[in-house]
Amino acid sequence: MTDTAISIRSLSHAYRPGTPVLESLNLSVRNGEMVALIGLSGAGKSTLLRCVNGLITPVNGDVRVLGKDVIGLSEQDRIRLRRRIGMIFQEFNLVDRLSALKNVLIGRLGYTPTIPSCLHLFKQADVLLAQDCLRRVGLGAYSHRRVRDLSGGQKQRVAIARCMAQQAEIILADEATANLDVLTKEEIMDIIRALCKESGVTVLLSMHDLLLARAYCDRVVGLKNGRITFDASPDQLDDRAVADILYRVPVA
Amino acid sequence: MSGELPGDPLREENPSSLSGVQGNAAPTREMERRFSPAAAYAMGAAALLLVVAWSFTGVFQGSGLLDGGLGQRLARGVTVARQFWPPDDTVRAQLQVSMIETVQMAVVGTLLGALFAAPLSFFAARTTSLSRVLSSIIKTVMNITRATPVIVYAIILTAIVGLGKATGAIALAVGTFVMLTKLYAEALESISSGPVEAVRAAGGNTIQTFIFGMLPQVFPNYVATTLYAFELNLQASFILGFVGAGGIGYDLQNYLREFAFTRVSMVLLIIIVVVNVVDFVSYRIRRAIS
Repeated sequence: MTDTAISIRSLSHAYRPGTPVLESLNLSVRNGEMVALIGLSGAGKSTLLRCVNGLITPVNGDVRVLGKDVIGLSEQDRIRLRRRIGMIFQEFNLVDRLSALKNVLIGRLGYTPTIPSCLHLFKQADVLLAQDCLRRVGLGAYSHRRVRDLSGGQKQRVAIARCMAQQAEIILADEATANLDVLTKEEIMDIIRALCKESGVTVLLSMHDLLLARAYCDRVVGLKNGRITFDASPDQLDDRAVADILYRVPVA
Repeated sequence: MSGELPGDPLREENPSSLSGVQGNAAPTREMERRFSPAAAYAMGAAALLLVVAWSFTGVFQGSGLLDGGLGQRLARGVTVARQFWPPDDTVRAQLQVSMIETVQMAVVGTLLGALFAAPLSFFAARTTSLSRVLSSIIKTVMNITRATPVIVYAIILTAIVGLGKATGAIALAVGTFVMLTKLYAEALESISSGPVEAVRAAGGNTIQTFIFGMLPQVFPNYVATTLYAFELNLQASFILGFVGAGGIGYDLQNYLREFAFTRVSMVLLIIIVVVNVVDFVSYRIRRAIS
């Protein structure tokens, strides 16, 4: 195995012909690295993240994740790869009517045969693992609470616990803190940072909060109009680079 | 838009969509504003009034409602109404048996209809169908079929199955199937795509994604619409008796033909009790699982 977790070469994607979202993008992320993707909405951050776990098949390019060629994989193998990649979202995307524990167990679906999972039956070891994950994010007492009764910060912690239950080697976070208040944002980033540094999980986060990106990430990648405009450590992110990423140039 | 998932969270990613919408919106709005809002409201109100006046004259013109001798006619009405009292207790035991048959018919009709509607609704919903064309075809067929009263199915089925409860239940099942396919599909279309995407991202296969991402979201709606279908079926089965499909509707039809009004009122009494019990139970179930 190489020490590259994600390697993307000349990636291009368009939802409609003629209006590219990503253009010949190159990016590689090392194992255990925590990388922020910074850019305005519409820059292509979400699309880039979904190309990594194969939720979107790009029009062009080469995406290698954990040594696998994502685009060339069969659907079966792509599902198998997704088990090793956790994903958290701005809107949390939990199943509101189910308990916190059931939501974490969704992270074990990839390891559960279809028929038992239809009946919501999980292996005892998986249930214990899920309960342990909830404890690790400080929600041990909430495992049987319905998710819809939890606060925003608690919901995002359930989502992180789901990634832990997957024993994910990579975590993709799509604006995971954008819907949270200042203190809760930091709580969530602390948990993700700890996962990265203590368990060696590779983390790729899309965000638009520069301060947060600077404070927590090893590397900041600026994305604008589907291209990378900046790729360096946070301390190299000066005013000029920020302006380049975050301000729209008026189109003539 | 073609090929894009409906409710795709990434739609905003397309930088051109924003300017495109703004560019198109302005002229369309100009074209709609041919009349001032006040004038448009006035025209709408006038049209509504016209329809109401037209309907009332259509119904009551020449009905003799306001002719002379109103007091006398009211007295005649009271005389007829009194013939319904008291409800004839001697037929109660027999009618209770018929009512049980009616309830059984409604249960079987509802469940059979739901059983076939559930898988088809999957292909009828835009969001889960194999293609939009297939979804449109199923929906169109269902919309056309929906206008057919259940009693028509019953008449046709009588020729196949013969008179009786089974015919009634199957006719109800056909009507339920048509209605629930549409309602289930609408429920599927209205769910949020976020949890579905999350389950898929966590490594769930297609079936698991349905069970965990979609089903919990549509479940309360499925139960509520199925109970609603059951209540409609119960009422429809009272009518089905008229074409010989069994149950309490059959008794009702016989008593009406014999002018046995005290027995008719016994039928009504039993129907009122059952409809209200069903309504109460259905309310409690819906509240428990919301």
